Amino acid sequence: MNKWLIPVLTASVVLGGCASVPRGSIPVVDSGSSAYEQDDRPGGGYNNAPAQAQQPQAMPEDSGVVVMVPGGGAPSAPIDTYAAPAGAPANGGGLTFDEPPLSSEPLGSPSYGNSAPSQPSTPSGIPSGNTGGGLAADEQLDGPVLALLTSAQQQQTGGDLNGAASSLERAQRIAPREPQVLYRLAEVRLAQGDAAQAEQFARRGLSYANGRPALQASLWDLIAKARQQQGDAAGAAQARERARVNL
Amino acid sequence: MRPLLGWAVKLGLVGLVLFAGFAVYLDAIVQEKFSGKRWTVPAKVYARPLELFVGQKLAKDDLLKEMDALGYRRESVANGPGAVAVSGNNVSLHSRGFQFYESAEQAQQVNVRFSGDYVASLTKADGKDLAVARLEPMLIGGLYPAHQEDRVLIKLDQVPAYLVETLVAVEDRDFFEHFGVSPKGIARAVWVNASAGQLRQGGSTLTQQLVKNFYLTNERSLTRKITEAMMAVLLELHYDKREILEAYLNEVFLGQDGQRAVHGFGLASQYFFSQPLSELKLEQVALLVGMVKGPTFYNPRRNPERALNRRNMILDLLAEQGVVSPEEAAAAKARPLGVTQRGSMANGSFPAFLDLVKRQLRQDYRDEDLTEEGLRIFTSFDPILQLKAEEALAETFKRQAGRKGSDEVEAGMVVTNPETGEIQALIGSRQPRFAGFNRALDAVRPIGSLIKPAIYLTALERPSQYTLTTRIQDEPFSVKGQDGQVWRPQNYDRKAHGSIYLYQGLAHSYNLSTAKLGLELGVPNVLKTLERLGVSRQWPAYPSMLLGAGALTPMEVTGMYQTIANGGFNTPLRGIRSVLTAEGEPLRRYPYQIQQRFDAGAIYLLQNAMQRTMREGTGRSVYSQLPSSLTLAGKTGTSNDSRDSWFAGFSQDLLTVVWMGRDDNGPTPFTGATGALQAWTGFMRRADPLPLDMPVPDNVVVAWVDAATGQGSAQNCPGAVQMPYIRGSEPAPGTGCGIQAPVDSVMDWVKGWLE
Repeated sequence: MNKWLIPVLTASVVLGGCASVPRGSIPVVDSGSSAYEQDDRPGGGYNNAPAQAQQPQAMPEDSGVVVMVPGGGAPSAPIDTYAAPAGAPANGGGLTFDEPPLSSEPLGSPSYGNSAPSQPSTPSGIPSGNTGGGLAADEQLDGPVLALLTSAQQQQTGGDLNGAASSLERAQRIAPREPQVLYRLAEVRLAQGDAAQAEQFARRGLSYANGRPALQASLWDLIAKARQQQGDAAGAAQARERARVNL
Repeated sequence: MRPLLGWAVKLGLVGLVLFAGFAVYLDAIVQEKFSGKRWTVPAKVYARPLELFVGQKLAKDDLLKEMDALGYRRESVANGPGAVAVSGNNVSLHSRGFQFYESAEQAQQVNVRFSGDYVASLTKADGKDLAVARLEPMLIGGLYPAHQEDRVLIKLDQVPAYLVETLVAVEDRDFFEHFGVSPKGIARAVWVNASAGQLRQGGSTLTQQLVKNFYLTNERSLTRKITEAMMAVLLELHYDKREILEAYLNEVFLGQDGQRAVHGFGLASQYFFSQPLSELKLEQVALLVGMVKGPTFYNPRRNPERALNRRNMILDLLAEQGVVSPEEAAAAKARPLGVTQRGSMANGSFPAFLDLVKRQLRQDYRDEDLTEEGLRIFTSFDPILQLKAEEALAETFKRQAGRKGSDEVEAGMVVTNPETGEIQALIGSRQPRFAGFNRALDAVRPIGSLIKPAIYLTALERPSQYTLTTRIQDEPFSVKGQDGQVWRPQNYDRKAHGSIYLYQGLAHSYNLSTAKLGLELGVPNVLKTLERLGVSRQWPAYPSMLLGAGALTPMEVTGMYQTIANGGFNTPLRGIRSVLTAEGEPLRRYPYQIQQRFDAGAIYLLQNAMQRTMREGTGRSVYSQLPSSLTLAGKTGTSNDSRDSWFAGFSQDLLTVVWMGRDDNGPTPFTGATGALQAWTGFMRRADPLPLDMPVPDNVVVAWVDAATGQGSAQNCPGAVQMPYIRGSEPAPGTGCGIQAPVDSVMDWVKGWLE
């Protein structure tokens, strides 16, 4: 009888053993495809800069840019690491550059050229429709763009550069011609080690920054840093010169 | 006697052992499949989420259309996720919340007030301002494996009220008491069937049904029935009722959508009602549960009456068993089936765009990852613009119907946002809902005059030689090509136009002057410009290339015009924004990338000439349909004998390229202005974009010139027009038109001269 039992038991154990191998729970990440790089830089494209390891963002030391974000513990303190230049109003009402107290100044003030006073409801997402004067209505960042730049800043501070870039692209879709958004995009790209794209975004920002010398200076300064990182010392010096002229 | 008994005992023991072995084997199978990953889930492709913010250009009707497609319920008060209340210009909605790449959007109440086609205010439930909110994105498709099973996995705590009660009441009344098989249920089935004289009720428990679908084939035999029963008991031994129920809810087959099998209540809810399962009401739950018995037989789209009867019968049953009150059942029975229309935005298929997405994904992912891992693909697809593009194209075809050859005419269309490089809509066929040859991506056709902006841009990059008002000659000429052939271009109207301004050559699309200009500049230089614009094809530098003998796809043309529309910054066109795992973890991003390829000044001048194409040139018919305040830039394109009809043009926020022609390259009934341009105009009219408004670059000055002579003029002179020039290339300011030359203009002239 035992002779009968042995093969049967063996067979059932073997069968059972075979069958109970867990299957199908291979996690996505193990599939070994290049698709899973959490990387902002797909192959090809415009990345002629040598790939660099992501590093904590190298914040500009003392350019003239003050990016202030309201809310949080200290609403009037810039959350960027560099200081406001003397005389820059430290109001907490808006995300502004160090031009006149934009967030409290009525739109259409003389310093922004000829655009007719816009209705307060004129949004930042909409070109002001004026013919010359540029982006007067956009000067005061409000609503959606301010909110998204704020979240991008928080993500960047928390080390989530991809998230920050994604939030900034969301802001860029809402206000595609707002140079401050492009400036921040350039900053984040630089922090991600993509100096070539950083320079391109800063240049795009410049094309929308007519009549905003402080912002232009910051953009040139960023271009200088990007060129430096790409090993273009002469170009960097040139850009720094432009930054000085614009200030 | 004794040996016989011994044999019987032995045989019995062997049988028992065999049975035990079989049970062990079945047990292993049951556990193996149930404890692992039970289902593979295809990648899901989402449209862009609709953003809401103050100042956004958005028509109320478009918002409501999208919300209908997302399955929002119109109610008097938006008091829960998926509800919307409309009163006048106010839309109060309760969004559902969603996990995006960069952040999670919370479900929340949002009050939107419209003013015209703009969002005038956006507030939260407490009346406080809301900076920005997103609706959840519309699901536009999936990437299915060969067996094409699709499902939206749900958890038991996500199911709506009554679903479990209804399912148990209808399919397996003793579910919570039995141990996998239900003798009581079998007895009842036997009794019912015997007394009815026909097969009315099955005795299978939910567990058995699950086992059947999950582990076994469709074969009908006693051994299979026994195996099924054994496995059901084993399953119940190892797992509790909740787990079994959850698996059942996800596994059950509820419909067939072409090649795709609709499995589980989660997907069925989306498929039939465009709503998440958790939001379904009693009558919807009753309909879905009723369909379990025969998904094809009771298909509410194909057999609405049958489905309605089945649903109402189930509602009666629920009242009978005391699950709901008779009043509730009566109220539910009074409601319509409520299934969405196929082919509406909600149930639309957008094969051309999905094709684009798949091609991109296949470059970056393995097929198994796409079809099994439940990846979430976020795209830039805009269903509102897509439907407008489809309508515009359909209207154009309708207008041309009846003309000779018009039935064979096909189309491809690409819509992007030039400021972000994102593809928003895509049409690959005159029947945009049918998958097939994707002409937007794959039809390689001669681009004709669409190449001309590249020639004029090459010229305008040399401001010391060429300005918009440089005189060029539109006269017949001939050149001998490298192959010895003589090339003799002709104008469309077969006339020569003599001495014209440079911009007029482009605006009126004159072949003679343009070809001559291109030869002056050098064909290789023009091809180099084309390459910088983003065209990567290698064409021989024949003179005929100057009039568009080279062939491109609509998508390639879009890439080329994108660079012009975006101020000289080239960007790879993107359809995908980001990819998340099934669990909502960020996986990959497709970032926005740009590269400046041209001086902003030269592009500004080119855009100006292309605006004149629309105002006074070959595109001027658009303003019979569009308001003159809408500044647009564009270019017509027609290949020989109108075999290809193209139009490429843009506003500030929309770039649209349309191609129309025949797959067999036969003649078509239209010219550049009646085929593609018509569809383009119809689309722009519906999309109502923002007027083109490129900021004036630093190196551009706008001067007053005499329209007749091109000489400098004063603003107040008759015939004076404004014309942009690269600084330094503008004509000397005129000394005025009368006797009195304004002093300051002389001063300006002196200053200009000194500089």
